[in-house]
Amino acid sequence: MENFSEVMALFLSVDNFLAIAVGVIVGVVVGAIPGLTATMAVALALPFTFSMEPVTAILLLVGIYKGGMYGGSITAILIRTPGSPASACTLLDGYPMAQQGKAKKALKTALYSSVVADMISNVALIFFASYLAKIALNFGPPEYFWLICFSLTIIVSVSGDSVIKGLIGASLGIIVSTVGLDAVYGTQRLTFDDYNLMDRVSFIPLLIGLFAIPEVIEFYTSKVAPHIRTAVSGASLTWKEFKGLLKTIVRGSLIGVIIGAIPGTGATSAAFISYSEAKRTSPRKANFGKGEIEGVAAAESGNNGVAGATLIPLLSLGIPGDVITAIILGAFMIHGLTPGPVLFQENLTLVYALFCGIMVSSFVLVFVGNAAIRYFSIIADIPKTILLPIVLMFCIYGAYAVNNSTFDIGLMLVFGIMGFIFNRTGIAAAPFLIGFILGPMFEDNLRRTILISKGDLSIFVRGPITWVFILLTVASLLFAIRRYWMSRKEAMA
Amino acid sequence: MMKLMKTRVKGRILCALAAVSLTYGGLVQADEWPEDNIRLVVPYSAGGTTDLLSRKMADLLQKELTTVVVENRPGAGSTIATAQLARGGRGSDHMLLMASPGHTIGASIYPSLRYDPLEDFAFVRNMINIPNVMVVPSSSPYTTVAEFIEAARTQEFSFSSPGIGSSIHMSGELFKSMTDSNLVHVPFRGSGEALPALLSGDVDVAFENMPTVYPHIKSGKLRALAVTSPTESEFLPGVPTLQEAGKEYGLETYETYAWFGFIAHKSFPAEAMVKLQAALDNVMASEEFKKFLPQFGAEAGTVVGEDFREFVQKDLEKWSDVAEKANLKR
Repeated sequence: MENFSEVMALFLSVDNFLAIAVGVIVGVVVGAIPGLTATMAVALALPFTFSMEPVTAILLLVGIYKGGMYGGSITAILIRTPGSPASACTLLDGYPMAQQGKAKKALKTALYSSVVADMISNVALIFFASYLAKIALNFGPPEYFWLICFSLTIIVSVSGDSVIKGLIGASLGIIVSTVGLDAVYGTQRLTFDDYNLMDRVSFIPLLIGLFAIPEVIEFYTSKVAPHIRTAVSGASLTWKEFKGLLKTIVRGSLIGVIIGAIPGTGATSAAFISYSEAKRTSPRKANFGKGEIEGVAAAESGNNGVAGATLIPLLSLGIPGDVITAIILGAFMIHGLTPGPVLFQENLTLVYALFCGIMVSSFVLVFVGNAAIRYFSIIADIPKTILLPIVLMFCIYGAYAVNNSTFDIGLMLVFGIMGFIFNRTGIAAAPFLIGFILGPMFEDNLRRTILISKGDLSIFVRGPITWVFILLTVASLLFAIRRYWMSRKEAMA
Repeated sequence: MMKLMKTRVKGRILCALAAVSLTYGGLVQADEWPEDNIRLVVPYSAGGTTDLLSRKMADLLQKELTTVVVENRPGAGSTIATAQLARGGRGSDHMLLMASPGHTIGASIYPSLRYDPLEDFAFVRNMINIPNVMVVPSSSPYTTVAEFIEAARTQEFSFSSPGIGSSIHMSGELFKSMTDSNLVHVPFRGSGEALPALLSGDVDVAFENMPTVYPHIKSGKLRALAVTSPTESEFLPGVPTLQEAGKEYGLETYETYAWFGFIAHKSFPAEAMVKLQAALDNVMASEEFKKFLPQFGAEAGTVVGEDFREFVQKDLEKWSDVAEKANLKR
């Protein structure tokens, strides 16, 4: 009881609530602007936290992180420009929904899926942190390798109408991902001796180029210039629809939690795995990619499920799972705190005050998200002749801002043209993206496993985690092959 | 004729005025530096140790001088940002870069860089040094450096790093070449990925930065065999230096740590340098700076100006040698 009052005394301060509110608002706005990522916002906010109380400082950064995770979906849905990498999956169905005049429904679905996933992720953080952290520690290179193999099978789900074209897209993505320095030997691969390519192809310019630029090119090359009102004033998400989506949202959240608890895997992968699972089990499979509300819910719950869970390895082990948690780790250290088991022993009051703040941030997200939908939705009513040049400007700025590099603008345009060709030839951009993200993870973990194996290849089947993922990979492939034959048979008939 | 003379006289007066104003302008610039915000370029992405330290230093420096704007310019190790500083041009008299071992390691691995890591820069001062720690998982049977080296000469061991060319990787390569041990490098992408592999015993050893492994040494999950600095660290009392623990195995000159210091373009005005160094002296004498250091297991840097250049030169020679032996030159 004494502890409870100490926690409340530490948590219930105006500063903390203000920090959460400001953090979530900044996160949502920054997340919604292409190229301005939550990572940049957290890094920029860090110096402001030097003079704050530790709990207030961390809550501000966590607020930005959570806001940013959701914010990315707004522009993904409205203008097919993912504000953050993790929202690339949301646009697969979110943007078609907006084009059908269901932007409001898509935005609300994204918001409530995000909030529910965020809460589930927080609960996992608070109650199962030590258990999940133990699983995370058992994830060595061979376990990662099989997890990535399983994740690669989702290419089949996001390939659109043709699996062959999906595989072509994924292969191209993998080829592009090999550009840069070889991780083990440091030799240059496909860099053409250009220093700008030594650190791999920049992700954000690729993302913006692949999704946003083709829309602009398409608009100016097609003769018709319709002004589709995306009708944000249209129908909202009904309770009945939301109830129907709950199963998908909870499943996506749990996928997000598991992926988030494993360092270095990331929200983008979680979104795509959740999306793929939703499509696999949905009775409306054929509608995925064409404006299926369940697709939006799956993608957003997957990526937001990660948000609380990435704090699990950080708080319980002191291991940052991604760049944002690395910055948050820095903030802890600047305030003289060391995340890890010691934190739970020495600063338990502070940890619980943080947990209270993290829970509150999910509720704040509901209000800020709704306000954001209202204001950002003005975008949907702007005629395309005015909107698209502005989008193009933001795209150029966004591509530049990540590394302050003009080279990245050129890169974005190249991928823009590539995306346009993909659109015209019916190759879906999503498999390309998955190939680009998972390709290096596959290669790195394969090589790491061989390096640590000391010549004993039985390391690939060394324990229950590897067995589970081998089974899942095989099952997923068999399922995909079966579906492929069934669809061919139907086509023949 | 008269008209032509008049034009010439006018021209000469204008030239003289221009020369006077330029000289005067130059004097004003030196006297009144900084006339503008200072740009502090961080050659790595936001969120890493270099970024974090830079933002803290910027925060302290701007209390002494003027607003310091931190800019992240990552890419190709730290070489893209460094090349940008080396090019100089407008604003380079208000531009600083937070250099670290990436500066010397990058130049050792890629000798065909478009800049000279020593001649193209003015060396302001070394701010912070963080030692690396040789750590093994707690499940490892080895409790001393000597035991480890003996074993590593007869069987293969793996060491992790957050990436090829990092100071942690190069510390391992240096250890390997000096002790003739059988170590295989396993690169990860960042310490966040490398650490679980070390904690679970998938890799046998690492030469990690102190702040990364310190909590795990304290909680007993990792065992510190030695520190890589030439003197013992106050944070790990009783843990020997590699120099003393590996004396019999050829490590008597082993010394590595992550150093951080400001460098500027070679044309950086001398008067401005004096002012900047004085401001940095104040920063380092401040209570806030002293309080900040222990949180990173760090020590205050000691070398300034030309001594700092000499320090960087020695570091460069050391890494060039390691890169040569480990076949890392590209």
